[in-house]
Amino acid sequence: MRYLTFALTKGRLADKTLERLEKIGITCEEMKDKASRKLIFVNEEQKLKFFLAKGPDVPIYVEHGAADIGVSGKDIIMEENRAIYEVLDLGFGKCRMCICGFPEAKELLSHHEMIKVATKYPRIARDYFQNIKHQTVDIIKLNGSIELAPIVGLSDVICDIVETGSTLKENGLTVLEEVCPLSARMVVNQVSMRMEAERIRGIIEALRGVS
Amino acid sequence: MKNRLLHTPEGVRDIYGRELERKELLENKLKSLIKSYGYKEIETPTFEYFDIFSKDTGITSSREVFKFFDRENNTLALRPDFTPGVARAAVKYFFEDDAPKRLCYLGKTFSNHSGLQGKLKEVTELGLEYLGEPSADADAEMINIAVELLKKAGLTDFQICVGNAEYFKGLCEGAGLDADTVAGLSENIRNKNYFGTLDALNDVDAPDSIKNTLRSFPDFFGNIDILDEAQKKVKGIKKSEEAVKRLKELYERLKAYGVQDYITFDLGMLSKHDYYTGVIFRAYTFGTGDAIIRGGRYDKLLSNFGRDRAAVGFTLIIDQLLSTLKRQNIEGEAGKEEACIYYDSVSFGSALKKARELREKGILTAMTRLEKEGDPSGFHKGDGKSLIVYYSEGKEIKY
Repeated sequence: MRYLTFALTKGRLADKTLERLEKIGITCEEMKDKASRKLIFVNEEQKLKFFLAKGPDVPIYVEHGAADIGVSGKDIIMEENRAIYEVLDLGFGKCRMCICGFPEAKELLSHHEMIKVATKYPRIARDYFQNIKHQTVDIIKLNGSIELAPIVGLSDVICDIVETGSTLKENGLTVLEEVCPLSARMVVNQVSMRMEAERIRGIIEALRGVS
Repeated sequence: MKNRLLHTPEGVRDIYGRELERKELLENKLKSLIKSYGYKEIETPTFEYFDIFSKDTGITSSREVFKFFDRENNTLALRPDFTPGVARAAVKYFFEDDAPKRLCYLGKTFSNHSGLQGKLKEVTELGLEYLGEPSADADAEMINIAVELLKKAGLTDFQICVGNAEYFKGLCEGAGLDADTVAGLSENIRNKNYFGTLDALNDVDAPDSIKNTLRSFPDFFGNIDILDEAQKKVKGIKKSEEAVKRLKELYERLKAYGVQDYITFDLGMLSKHDYYTGVIFRAYTFGTGDAIIRGGRYDKLLSNFGRDRAAVGFTLIIDQLLSTLKRQNIEGEAGKEEACIYYDSVSFGSALKKARELREKGILTAMTRLEKEGDPSGFHKGDGKSLIVYYSEGKEIKY
C-alpha cells in the first residue's frame, strides 16, 4: 500500500486536526513527542505520513501532490486559490474575514469611491471590493499587525481575520462589514482523490460523522 | 548583465543530452501509435491572431496568453493550445466533403501564468482531434487511444476519469437557474466542496427533487455502477438522462476495446468553461499533482469558424509525462549505441574506415582529431558513449 501524506498547519490547527483524526482511529504517536525534531512523522501500521507546514504552504504542497491531504484555514485556501479539492469543513478554527476600521470609516464604504485597504490577504480584499462592492480599491499588503495600519494613518480600513474582536476594541477599531465566515477545511490533491479514492473518501465520510 | 546572457527567463528551459533523446524517443513512439489509428499530422503556426484563442474558442484565460502586435496593430498570440488553430485549419481545408477527419499534432504551447509555481511556461503537447463524428464510438476511440498511449509510455497504474458536462447542464436548465447561480454551483461541485454546494443550494429556488440531485454529486463518482443511481435521479430531465445513456453506451464500447479497467466515472467533473459540450475525460497517475491527459467533446467549437461539425479530442503534455515516468522510476528505452573515434594526423584513413563501418551498423559515430598523444577516455565521463577508439600512428587502441 502507498503512504497517504497529510500536510497540517503548524500550531493550534494541527493539534485540533490530530484530535479529530484520533476520533476516527487515525493516530500518530510520533507527533505527540513535542521535543522531537523530526520533519516527517510516520504511522507504519496505517501507512500514513504527516508533516507540519506554514499555513499558506499547505495548499501548495497539496496542489503539487507532495501531500495527498491538507488541513488549513479557509482564508488561506481563498487567498492561495490553488487547483485543489476542498472536501470538508472541519468546523473548528471558526472566525470571520472582516473589513475593520474606526467607526467613522463606515461612511467610506457606502460609496464607490477609492478606499485604501491594508491586508495580509490582497486577493480576498480585491475580490470583495471589486466584484462584490464594485468599489475602487488601493490595496497595501502587510505581513502582520494589520490593526496598526488605520491607527497610524497608512490605510482607511483593513481586511483581516476577526476571532473575538478584543484587539480591535482595545484600539478603538470596530468591525464594519463581514466578508465571509471562516473555519478549518480539509483539502485533497486532484490526483490522489482519484487514485486513492477509496481510502480518502473513507476518511472524509468518517470525519463527517464526528465533531 | 553578464548573468543575463547565460540564464533563460523563468518558466522556460534547455533540454539536451539523454533527456532530449528520451523525449524524442517517447514522442515518436506515441505519435506512431496515434498514426496507426489513421490520424494525419498537422502543423499550425506558432502564433496566430489572438481572436482564434479568445473566450469562445479556447480554454486558456486571456490573461495567460502571450500577446504581441504585428505591423498593422493586429493582436497576435503565441498558441496556448492547439485545438482552436487545428479547428480553424480543418474548417478551411478539409470540409469540402462530409467524411470525418482525424488529425494529430505535436509541438510547443505557451502560457504566461504567474511565476514561482513550479510550472513551465513552454511545454510540448501531443494531441489529436476527431472531427465530424458525433457518436459515442468516436469518444470511445479517443479514450482507448489515451489508455494505449499511457501504456505504451510504460505506465501501469493510472486512471481515466470520465464525465459528461450535459448531466449538470440538464439539471440546471431543468431548475431554471440563472448564470451566476450555475457558476457558483459548478465551482463547488468541481472542487468537490460538499458543504459549499449545500450552502449554495440554500438560497436557490428550485424543485426539491433537482436540489436533492445536485446535493448527491459526491456520490456520482466511482465505477460504472454509479451511473444507474445517477440515471434514476434525473427521470424526466431529458438532457441529463441522455448524458447518462451516452456514458453507458461509451462504456460498452470501451469494454469491447478491453480498457474498462482503467475507467472511472465522475459526473461532478465539470469544466470551468462552456467549451465542452459532452463527454469530458482526464487521465491521472501518481507523480504529478494534475491530470496528464485532458480531453472531451466540443461540438460547438467548429461553428465559431463557420462549420457546424462535431469534434472530440485530447492533449497530453509530454513534459509532464516524462517527469511522471521519472518519479515512478520507469526507464525509457535505451537510445542508440554511440561511439567516438579519435585519431592523430597520420591515422585519418584508418579512422575513417572504422567510422564508416560503425555507422553502417547503425552506431552513431563521431570522429575527433587529437593533436596530443594521450588517453581520450577522460572526455567522456558519464555521457554514455559506449565505444571509444583511438588511432595512434595507424594502430587501433580501444578504451
